[in-house]
Amino acid sequence: MSTINFAAREINCKIVYYGPGIAGKTTNLKYIYRQVPNNVKGEMVSLATEDERTLFFDFLPLDLGMVQGFKTRFHLYTVPGQVFYNASRKLILRGVDGIIFVADSAPNRLRANAESLRNLRENLVEYSLKLENVPLVVQYNKRDLPDALPVEMLRMVIDPTGEYQEFEACAETGKGVFETLRAVSKLVLERLAAS
Amino acid sequence: MIEPSLALYGEAFSRVNGALDVLLKGAHARYAMVVDRKGFVLAHRESLWAPKPPVLDSVATLIAGNAAATSALAKLVGEPRFNELVHQGDHIGLYVEEVTDQALLAVVFDNTAPVGRVKLYVKKAIQEIEGIVEAAEPIRDVNLGPDFVSSAGALLDDLFGRL
Repeated sequence: MSTINFAAREINCKIVYYGPGIAGKTTNLKYIYRQVPNNVKGEMVSLATEDERTLFFDFLPLDLGMVQGFKTRFHLYTVPGQVFYNASRKLILRGVDGIIFVADSAPNRLRANAESLRNLRENLVEYSLKLENVPLVVQYNKRDLPDALPVEMLRMVIDPTGEYQEFEACAETGKGVFETLRAVSKLVLERLAAS
Repeated sequence: MIEPSLALYGEAFSRVNGALDVLLKGAHARYAMVVDRKGFVLAHRESLWAPKPPVLDSVATLIAGNAAATSALAKLVGEPRFNELVHQGDHIGLYVEEVTDQALLAVVFDNTAPVGRVKLYVKKAIQEIEGIVEAAEPIRDVNLGPDFVSSAGALLDDLFGRL
């Protein structure tokens, strides 16, 4: 659940970008960081290896502004996507309020997408959570690839029942990045208001 | 809901701030903050003589991440937990200790404050803050009002829609 600091009249929500390695989670965050005005964003923190692969997490705080007298903030995190960093991934999920699942449209990453989603389910169980109970949207990234898989095929693997809002994106150019973030943010705030 | 959020406000918030002030003065430390396990700042104080503190959000996030990783390491080697974490550079040190299962107390100090004294005052402060945190009720009902979602949605559209 979101942290509500009544003393400071702040509402803080944690949104996590999840997905397989090199799907574009950090690229999403970097694009957001470049585009949002300085008065909205805080410092971006990246714990990455020398070759710029996420080692622990990336972090970017965003100030939405005052909502009903509360300063409302979003803390955006990415997890390391590579399979062997699962211990770190699990830690980042603690206290999550909303998830953006970034799927890779590359033809050789279909299985990685499926495994990452299964891994997400397993890691949420550690916190007694079910995927169905966490606000989640799906972003099909890298739609600009010439051999990108059809969205229908990706959907069959990731969201066969059409349960989640989905967005096609190219995080490098920013297409779909803010649409995805806006959608999950609204879901998180709706959940918060209904709690 | 993954875990209850702390509701540090009103008298509890003032008492935590009071304990942090005593800690800063006694230990001659620069900054002290209580951070929840998710990396959000619950309370923070700074000494009047200290330079401007670093960005609190980043500090809190890294403290919580570091503590989570340390705790995972402890479990891997067969310990339920490692209780404290000290980082010391040539001029600045950071001392972190658990406050119940829900929060962490972090203190930044410089080389005018011996680490032993910092530890002593941190432990005193934790005794007091633990009682306050344990007595603080988790947030159950949050009445944000019917207009909250529409107001927030409008702000989201305004901010993200134009980018």
